[in-house]
Amino acid sequence: MNGSGEMRLILLFIFASALICRAEDKASGRWEGLVQIPDRELEVVVDLAKAEDGQWQGSIIVPGLNLPGTQLVNIGVQDSDASFGIKTARGLDAVFKGHFNADGTFSGDFSQAGNRASFTLKKIGAPQVETPLRSTPVAKEIEGEWKGEYQIFGTPRHVTLKLTNGTKNSATAELVVVGKKVNNLPVDLVTQEGDLVTIQSNQTGIGYEGRFNKESNEIKGTFMQGPMELPLVLRKSK
Amino acid sequence: MNSATKLERTGWRPIDFRAGGFVIAVLLAFFLDPRSRAQSMFRGDPAHSGVYAGEGPRQFHRVKWKFPTGNRIVSSPVIDNKKIYFGSDDGNVYAIDAESGREIWRRSTKGPVPSTPAVAAGIVYFASYDGNFYALNAETGALKWKFATGGERRFEAKGLHGMQPKNQTIADPFDIYLSSPVVADGMVYFGSGDGNLYALDAATGDLRWKFKTGDVVHASPAFVNGVVFVGSWDSHFYAVDAKTGKEKWRFHGGEDPLIHNQVGFQSSPAVIDGTVYTGCRDAQVYALDASTGKEKWRFDNALSWVITSPAVTRGKVFFATSDSSLYHMADAATGKSLVRQQGKAYMFSSPAIAGDVAIIGVLNGTLEARDANTGELLWDYQTDASKRNSGWVLTAERKFNQPLLFFDNWREAPLLAQDRQVSVGSIFSSPLIENGVVYFGSTDGFLYALE
Repeated sequence: MNGSGEMRLILLFIFASALICRAEDKASGRWEGLVQIPDRELEVVVDLAKAEDGQWQGSIIVPGLNLPGTQLVNIGVQDSDASFGIKTARGLDAVFKGHFNADGTFSGDFSQAGNRASFTLKKIGAPQVETPLRSTPVAKEIEGEWKGEYQIFGTPRHVTLKLTNGTKNSATAELVVVGKKVNNLPVDLVTQEGDLVTIQSNQTGIGYEGRFNKESNEIKGTFMQGPMELPLVLRKSK
Repeated sequence: MNSATKLERTGWRPIDFRAGGFVIAVLLAFFLDPRSRAQSMFRGDPAHSGVYAGEGPRQFHRVKWKFPTGNRIVSSPVIDNKKIYFGSDDGNVYAIDAESGREIWRRSTKGPVPSTPAVAAGIVYFASYDGNFYALNAETGALKWKFATGGERRFEAKGLHGMQPKNQTIADPFDIYLSSPVVADGMVYFGSGDGNLYALDAATGDLRWKFKTGDVVHASPAFVNGVVFVGSWDSHFYAVDAKTGKEKWRFHGGEDPLIHNQVGFQSSPAVIDGTVYTGCRDAQVYALDASTGKEKWRFDNALSWVITSPAVTRGKVFFATSDSSLYHMADAATGKSLVRQQGKAYMFSSPAIAGDVAIIGVLNGTLEARDANTGELLWDYQTDASKRNSGWVLTAERKFNQPLLFFDNWREAPLLAQDRQVSVGSIFSSPLIENGVVYFGSTDGFLYALE
């Protein structure tokens, strides 16, 4: 490669870096604006930022849908375009697809449930991306298989909860509820804070919150299924 | 079905043949022509069969007319002497010409009228949310009498459907109907928010008896062989002697002390061939022995309410569900499922059967015509409000857009969500089929005639 070829490569690198920086500068920040759903404008606040690993991360707040800081999914930023999605436990599945405009706004289409509306957002400050809750490890005596039973509409439901500490300094859980059918519920979050153990299944809207009692070797708490809160005592399987 | 059976089923007395020949002929024509009486009350007849004369339309051609009122229409239309009668939540009861859709008269009350009128012997009977039960001259709308009940109210419970605060009593936004009267043997029977089933003298409005249940009665009573059948929000179903008001038997449906979601009879019964068929909010359809109240079978709908009143004909039971939005046909003798078709949205409207066509309203603002034998969709009609889909109440597939509707159970949010949900011209009204024309009301405030 001769000198002029090297020079061209360097210039190309500088240009590409500038483009990347520009896209990053454009997208990163706290954005606020409206989704123009006919007869129902939705105010949204979107935070976008680049993480240390170079991946885009973001969260969204929608006061009109009782949606506090919620992680964005499928974030893509390229040149002057960006897209990202929302997927919630309540079944909200929506996509923003837009363009960064010369006037500093970000506008485009919002689609949800097969419907489409336009949106326009304006940058109002630095990003405040909501960090996702992460599972914690559980104490050695809490690891293992727990069983219990709760009643709903006069019918018993048998619960088996298996807690295991993983390699990433966090616990995982298998949750099986047996009624008329056997339901293997996906668990998204396992936490232990003191004697309080929390299990969360986002997709099903099911959760459990209980306190571990070392003496009786049981977890006494509440099984939460939608709006219903049902007492559930879990005991260690022999 | 022979005429004798028909008379027995509908609870009408045998004809007195000592009367003059002309009178006999007129009476015979009245009794034997289903159109002369059979469609002049909720579900078509006192037994609530939900079956209408002739063949229902297998194709949709056009909107024959549509008639505007000032508010939602939840009431179902009935026809008598070429006039359509129905109530509106604007507080009026209307009489309109069945052919032209022109208003003949209207009568105002001081509350919404989500009750379906009954017309008998030239009198229109209905209930209003103002707590009164009315009898009007069917020709002129003039008041003949009115009867004050103990007052109306909706079903209510603490922490209803998981709404917060849990200790707050909340009125149920899905308690949408008022009881519709049944007229038989010179009496008129209806339920009330004061918890009573009432029996009044149909001519004078004098109270003959009242029967106390444990909660609101907004289901509509059926009358067969001197017995009145009705369910209550107390989750009991009752059979009451029509003459004395004495209880013959009661049946206990499901209970839900947690959130009061799976409880109460909102569906109205059909009583056919000695069996009572009724839906329940405990997600069951029950078949009960009409003489004893003993359960013959139950059809479990997996936590999905059955608000529709079953239609029963040719040994088959037709009904639909709310949350699971399923259209069902079951064997009337065994409860075995014969047809199961997936609908798009909640169904509260009760199916009307005419020949081989079943017609039902859907809360997404669509009227559906299905083949009564296979359940397959023949045609549908979507109201303009449903097409507008203001605020994205519906998905592009016309299902309810739940994440944009029910996202909060605090304060009035669930009530507002229900309000928003029915802004798409929801069809709570049960269709009337007459001479190939389908009449129904919508929450867009219009009464429709389709042909």
